[in-house]
Amino acid sequence: MKKALFVVMLMLSLFAQTVYAEEKVLRIFIWSEYMDERKMSAEFKAATGITVKIDVYENNEDMLAKLQAGGVNQYDIIVPSDYIMSTLLAQKLIQPLDHAKLPNLKNVMNRFSNTEYDPGSKYTAPWQWGSVGLMYRKDKISPDAAKSWSVIFDPSKQTGTFWLMDSVRDSMAMALMYLGYDMNSTNPQEIKKAAELLITTKNSKFCRGFKPGVGGKNDVESGAASMAIVYNGDAMRAVMADPKKLGFVIPKEGGEIWVDLMAIPAKAPHPDAAHQWINWILDPKVGAKLSNYNRYATPNQASLPYILPKDKASDEIYPGEETMKRLHFSKDLGKANRLMDEAWTRIKSR
Amino acid sequence: MRKTHPVVKGLALLTVWFLYLPLLGVAVCSFNTAKDGWVWKGFTFDWYVKLFDNDWILNAAWNTLVLGLVSTVIATVIGTVLAVGINRFPWGRKTNSFLNTMLNIPVVIPDIVMAGSLVVVFGILREVSSIFDMGMVDMIIGHVTFQIAFVALVVRSRLTLIGQDVEEAARDLFASNWYLMRKVMLPLMMPGIVAGAMLAFTLSLDDFVISFFLSGPDSQTLPLYIYASVRRGVTPQIHALSTLVVLVTVVLVVGAQFLSKKEEA
Repeated sequence: MKKALFVVMLMLSLFAQTVYAEEKVLRIFIWSEYMDERKMSAEFKAATGITVKIDVYENNEDMLAKLQAGGVNQYDIIVPSDYIMSTLLAQKLIQPLDHAKLPNLKNVMNRFSNTEYDPGSKYTAPWQWGSVGLMYRKDKISPDAAKSWSVIFDPSKQTGTFWLMDSVRDSMAMALMYLGYDMNSTNPQEIKKAAELLITTKNSKFCRGFKPGVGGKNDVESGAASMAIVYNGDAMRAVMADPKKLGFVIPKEGGEIWVDLMAIPAKAPHPDAAHQWINWILDPKVGAKLSNYNRYATPNQASLPYILPKDKASDEIYPGEETMKRLHFSKDLGKANRLMDEAWTRIKSR
Repeated sequence: MRKTHPVVKGLALLTVWFLYLPLLGVAVCSFNTAKDGWVWKGFTFDWYVKLFDNDWILNAAWNTLVLGLVSTVIATVIGTVLAVGINRFPWGRKTNSFLNTMLNIPVVIPDIVMAGSLVVVFGILREVSSIFDMGMVDMIIGHVTFQIAFVALVVRSRLTLIGQDVEEAARDLFASNWYLMRKVMLPLMMPGIVAGAMLAFTLSLDDFVISFFLSGPDSQTLPLYIYASVRRGVTPQIHALSTLVVLVTVVLVVGAQFLSKKEEA
């Protein structure tokens, strides 16, 4: 009897240790490989005394699903993309920001302050912005061939193995643009044609399947694939380390431009700490450190002087006018989101 | 002993090879300097060293262990009691078959259906109390839910095996219920209880789907961590981890065999 009681006590104490939550904690839910997790957590702790705990996801839809399943009162900071903002607002999953706690909000570039998806920065502050394009190995694919999406979608021009991106809006956007349609099309016929294209492409012997952006980048870097659809920052981290063998390009049919934002879930357990984090990230030097690590473009005007010169000069990270003409934002499709979901389910299951 | 036919021997060897070749491949990769791919670039213990420095993996391993142990203990106790209740109480025929069906359902139900229903249940319970937030508590309850059936099935088969004769003899000799349980039934059932507990522990360690749906920010387990890493393509530390897990399993199994042989002698 006594032995059993002892065992039960031991179990409960083990269990209690794991469930016990500390007070000065910030829980961040963010894309993988988006910041120097160790260093930034240590620096934030040194600056404010708050411990940072990080959980990662690979695409917006995963994050949305986790929030809806109960994550809305577990995480303090999430990093959604611009197009998913209307869904988050409609489902009341995020809370408005208290601008009094965010003096550094004035550092944000004008074009990110008053946007379509969040006028007046009521709910979000920008984190990074970037694009989606094609990363390729120069020893397998010629830079000229890579300038068009046909090297992935046209069976007569496919010459190397590739990964498609495991993200519904990004992959569908590329397919729609290759077919000459608007990437935010709500026309069921056009969506159907793009889905058919993706299904045929997926089943071709050169396609290795769907992988999240970071996974695709890792495979191209190691040589396990010749091309992948990836985010520009991930790609540029690898390309700048090995510019002779790796390249990144926005093909002529078009690419996607996006802005990632910091938001606070509606029932976040530590909203104060969350505001401190947002304000700290918007500090000019911290913002520059972040961008210099993940090689994405900073939305922080005051950080620009501290950004690496070769990043500022790089067209892939800070696109010039010519490239900007080819880049389009993803828009929320409202009711047509269902069409996209159905198309994606079909694509994944055939 | 009759000599086995060479074809049978060959097939047996082939099967063993087929089962263990992937594990061997993972072990070989864990010593490979290359981060990805099959090209052998050099021997290194680096990944093992980095493994013990990696906070996320250590946290996941700790969570997996705690989850496994706590849920196994709870499930074994409840499962044993359930088995005794189903087997030893003289239920009517209809109730008996109903109970049997109920016991088998968690075993045959697809993992994802169970996980989905648990998410819905916890969503409702969360309105009542925040202790049901996604996290360790949810995961333990979820694991216990499917483990009970397995434990009960194993213990019940053991109960059927030992039969009621010894118990009836004990009752004839004026044994009280508690004495009967402590000195007669538990020792006889022990192999079944231990087997049930081991099965429950294995199922918990192995579980991915239910943990995936119920985990909170602090309660990532090893299967979840491995899934996330493989999706991103960052795997050498995972190879090292997997090799260690297999090694520990082999040592445990061999140790258990050794101990049981000693007891027999």
